[in-house]
Amino acid sequence: MIRRAQPWLGTLVEVTIGAMGGAAPDPQNPADLQAANQLINLAFAQIGQVQRLMSFHDAASDVSRFNRAGAGEVLPVDPHTWDVFQLAQRISDSTEGIFNIACAPRLVAWDCLPSPASARPVYEPSTAVLRCEEGSMVRKLAAGWVDLGGIAKGYAVDLAVEALRAAGVTSACVNAGGDLRVLGAEAWPVAIRDPLAPFRTARTVQQGDGAMATSAAYFSAKRHAGQQVCALVDGRTGEPLPGRSSITVQAPRCAVADALTKVVVATAGTQHPALRAWDATAFII
Amino acid sequence: MRYQPLLALSACVLCAPAFATQYLSAEQAQQLMFPDATAFRPQPLALNAAQMQQIEKLSGLPARSVNWRVVGAYKGDALLGYMVLDDVTGKFELISYAVGLNPDATVRQVEVLAYRESHGGEVRLPAWRRQFVGKSASGGGLTVGEGIANISGATLSCTHLTDGVRRIAAIAQVMLKK
Repeated sequence: MIRRAQPWLGTLVEVTIGAMGGAAPDPQNPADLQAANQLINLAFAQIGQVQRLMSFHDAASDVSRFNRAGAGEVLPVDPHTWDVFQLAQRISDSTEGIFNIACAPRLVAWDCLPSPASARPVYEPSTAVLRCEEGSMVRKLAAGWVDLGGIAKGYAVDLAVEALRAAGVTSACVNAGGDLRVLGAEAWPVAIRDPLAPFRTARTVQQGDGAMATSAAYFSAKRHAGQQVCALVDGRTGEPLPGRSSITVQAPRCAVADALTKVVVATAGTQHPALRAWDATAFII
Repeated sequence: MRYQPLLALSACVLCAPAFATQYLSAEQAQQLMFPDATAFRPQPLALNAAQMQQIEKLSGLPARSVNWRVVGAYKGDALLGYMVLDDVTGKFELISYAVGLNPDATVRQVEVLAYRESHGGEVRLPAWRRQFVGKSASGGGLTVGEGIANISGATLSCTHLTDGVRRIAAIAQVMLKK
């Protein structure tokens, strides 16, 4: 097993190679080590690409260009960004808008995100801000800001895992701060933090081929102007979802698992029909 | 001899990490960043007050230290770049990392060497540490072995680390740029 970590997407991303071509790499063998490190570089390159395209903080990203655009503008974006916008829209549709990437103005107002411009749009849950159009184009339908913080980490993990699979890796795990995906038949142990004591393990689960994402407010919760806020927002109302529990969603794709955690937090239950529609399951600790 | 690790462990109960991983040694990181290098030479930096001011202006962050651990990577006499070693501490975490820099002071690569979390009394919890017992411990640190768990849970922000990289990029601009 060979594991490295780099800072991306505002968190630590770990890439672990368990087996290449069916055999475990030997860290003492220079050829194995070099091959594994090249694969890990390949995985990090995918993650880096997602950061460049979708960061809310980077003025040159597709997301920032969209946020600066005026209502009615049509912008070309990278096919990956378009994919994530499209997936976000489908998940929003299947969750009655609980998941909504347009709630960024709330996160900016709570100082969870930096302000991309001086004129601050108001978050209106029922107003569509973005529409995906043919040819990797997106149309800004109304004034507003979008943030892909609730789905892009998962998407980056998916891209990294697909790149490893295409390069012949048969067992691997990519973990972006709790949004993780396992490649291969062999299950990996995953420690879930205890939401009441985040430095302890509440439960260890065996994760096989597929993805898992855990969401909780214990590190992002804070008080802002007398109100308890955090980085989780109910897209229907724009209200924060602090809560004291930890939500884990398991799904084939990490982008989907990542996005659906917000639905479980908002409904405080694991039975929302969107979970079944996306082939996902959830548990609450 | 066989009692020494046990003594070290019990002495360290209060400072033992709740979650910890060692990824790379400094030597492994420099090899990874500069695979063509034939020599690595320590070139420690000491900043004077004017240089620290310049770095603070460039990075928008306090320069923090006078002394910095820098290694030059060479192929024969040709400079390939530098690696700067640093540690950052957050409210709950300690991260040791290395920044690889090109001769023109642009950042080439960032690698985390080791990550540790601790949180007051909760670090006493031996369950996590127990995973490491019996695993290889070459180089004095913990080495990742089979069966060590990934962690899933809300993201611990790595603002301190990204700030640290920004500070080192500024140090490189002021002190190392060719």
